[in-house]
Amino acid sequence: MTDQTVQHVKTLIVGSGFAGLGLAIRLKRRGDGDFAIIERAHDVGGTWRDNTYPGAACDVPSHLYSFSFRPNPDWSSVFSPGPEIQQYLRDAAREEGLLPHVHFGADMLDASWDDNAARWTVTTSAGTFTSTYLVTGTGHLADEAFPAIEGLEDFPGAKFHSARWDHSVPLDGKRIGVVGTGASAIQIVPELAKIASELVVFQRTPAYIIPRAERAYTEGEKRLFRRDPSAITELRSELFWGGENTYAQRRAVPQFLEAGKKMALDHLAAQVPDPELRAKLTPDYEPGCKRVLISNAFYPALQAEVTTLEASALRRVEGSTVVAASGAEYDLDVLVFATGFEATEPPYAALVHGRDGVNLSDHWKSGMQAYDSVAVAGFPNLFSINGPNTSLGHNSIVYIIESQVEYILGAFDYAAEHGIEVIEPTREAEEAYVDKLQADAQGTVWIDGGCKSWYVDQRSGKLTLIWPDFGFAFRDKNGTFSPDGYQTRIAPQALPQPAGV
Amino acid sequence: MLATDLMIPAVADIRGTSITYYDSRDEKDRDDVLVMVHGTSGSTKTHFGFLFPILAAKQRVVSIDWSQPDRDGERLELDQLVDQVAGAIEVILPGRKVVLLGYSLGAVVTAALAARRPDLVERLVLVAGWMKTDLQQILRNDVWQALRASGDDAIRSYSTFCAFGGPFLGSKTLADLQPAMDAMAFDAFGDQQMELNRRIDIVEEVHRISVPTLVIGCTHDQMVPIRHQKALFGAIEDARFAEIPTGHAVVFERPSELTHHIQRFLDEPEAFTAGSIVPTPQP
Repeated sequence: MTDQTVQHVKTLIVGSGFAGLGLAIRLKRRGDGDFAIIERAHDVGGTWRDNTYPGAACDVPSHLYSFSFRPNPDWSSVFSPGPEIQQYLRDAAREEGLLPHVHFGADMLDASWDDNAARWTVTTSAGTFTSTYLVTGTGHLADEAFPAIEGLEDFPGAKFHSARWDHSVPLDGKRIGVVGTGASAIQIVPELAKIASELVVFQRTPAYIIPRAERAYTEGEKRLFRRDPSAITELRSELFWGGENTYAQRRAVPQFLEAGKKMALDHLAAQVPDPELRAKLTPDYEPGCKRVLISNAFYPALQAEVTTLEASALRRVEGSTVVAASGAEYDLDVLVFATGFEATEPPYAALVHGRDGVNLSDHWKSGMQAYDSVAVAGFPNLFSINGPNTSLGHNSIVYIIESQVEYILGAFDYAAEHGIEVIEPTREAEEAYVDKLQADAQGTVWIDGGCKSWYVDQRSGKLTLIWPDFGFAFRDKNGTFSPDGYQTRIAPQALPQPAGV
Repeated sequence: MLATDLMIPAVADIRGTSITYYDSRDEKDRDDVLVMVHGTSGSTKTHFGFLFPILAAKQRVVSIDWSQPDRDGERLELDQLVDQVAGAIEVILPGRKVVLLGYSLGAVVTAALAARRPDLVERLVLVAGWMKTDLQQILRNDVWQALRASGDDAIRSYSTFCAFGGPFLGSKTLADLQPAMDAMAFDAFGDQQMELNRRIDIVEEVHRISVPTLVIGCTHDQMVPIRHQKALFGAIEDARFAEIPTGHAVVFERPSELTHHIQRFLDEPEAFTAGSIVPTPQP
């Protein structure tokens, strides 16, 4: 019985999004095929596989939101649509020869460190694995967040989360409610406004929205990218540093913060002439405290004949009647929850048990944290890509992922060179790293911007999701492995044998 | 509370000349202080609006606005600017050696200062600087002088055309740049600095600079073409060189990439040994 066998690999990777595929490609390319990827779904792609809602697209330009080591001359436009990104990841997995390493339908049920054997045992819905290293590439946008709404279970119509879009539900001519006005909602609303008979958008907190400099690449540009790959490199560099320039806003430098606010409010004024609607859409916090969104289509869609902006939260449901916090009532056929993800308390942490059986979500009960944003004290040989303090509010996560992949490969190399079988950061190093990071975050919009956001763990007030500095500072600090801050155990067979034996 | 504005001007009297400076004061548990000097017709506000508060998030930063010596109508001499900056360091940071950063004409001033006063300078960063004015610069300066003398508003287009790199301008619209073009101010002190730019020759002094130095050049610089920064890289014994693909106005085009190189040099001065070419980041 194959499901009774335990497969051992050197490196077990959890997830096949940008993080998992990125590490796997780099391993494979350097001739290390001793890895497996466990993937709970039946395709690669992570968030781009899951988010199939109408209008799904990325807020980061495609030539930057892609692997530096797999440039794609054929991106259709500056911000390519979601399905194109998903295809890019599928092609990467296939062309790099990763698919034989991927175990689909393998939902991680438990991961436990065995200190005697110096290995992880990972139980999944598709068999058990043991591995020397466990690398999580589970992302921040993997597990959907659902608000607890009184009476929701009795809503007679269809209801689903934006990341679990139910394409079997007919939406043409329907009365649809969209809950939330974050990054997903502002892409969904313009699409639904085209087909709904009535569209109600529930907004707790308005977002700052800036213009989307969207355009298709011409055939000539794409041909140039194919003929001269340095043109892609130069564009990528321009996009990256252009993004980095906006960090001054996040650092709350007054002149840049004001310029950012003005850009958003001018966009609002230009697109929304009605002062009453404009007031509802004007944020009362600093830009960047919550994610700054980019859209040319959201404000116009809110003013479509069919659309109502309900500037309060969804409070309760009574049959097919949906009641807002303001008391307003709407009869609806479909409810779409664009309510984001469980980012600050990742569910996978509850499944991971380190030294002495310590549970990772217990270890993180006042907020997730990791040494160099990648490794956790008490959890040997575990590395997290895109884990604590890795999100950027102003630039591409792929840059961070690639930095962390290089770091992890460096750690593997260091261990191999020194005959090390167990490596983990010291508690002191982890605390010192996190203290410094929290101190450096003071004075940024994420901490002091006057909003409640998913970047901050509400249990402790700590900034646990965001890397509160330039993107380049992450790579400078955390892009190259150093043994400082780690404790290690040499494998017995690697120890020098007593003379004469 | 959101971060307070760090750009609070203070005034110091340097041997009878009043100069404006900015001091972030908070040492942030570091023992090195960065002192910055702007370029031609600039100021801390106009040239270091990004760099000053951003670098001050990590350590104490002082920035000095040189001022017009009290002798109207006379030629401005490099020595006067060097003396102002040296005097300001002695008054604001008595008894301390500093990391000195100069941009454009400020790089000329700080290079001369580092050569003359090794007692004040611990390390040096020269951004888009030069040591000897060449014919390309003279001819550009001639055109600027002619436009300035004629009062032609084309001086705004010309200055913008020269300051920014081609790739940057090619990615912008006139509307993007018009506010900055309209805000350009021209005055007698600026004219004196433009005249001084024609007469720079500190080649011998630069060869005497002994402190660790980071030289930063800009690929598309039309005002101080990159061969000048390469000449500095050659002339200074303990120099390393970094290149940024912008025009002369790197402080506006890619202040973030500039910050990357400066911060690295501040944090790990030995990361690149003398004579190294710092790799261009590949994001």
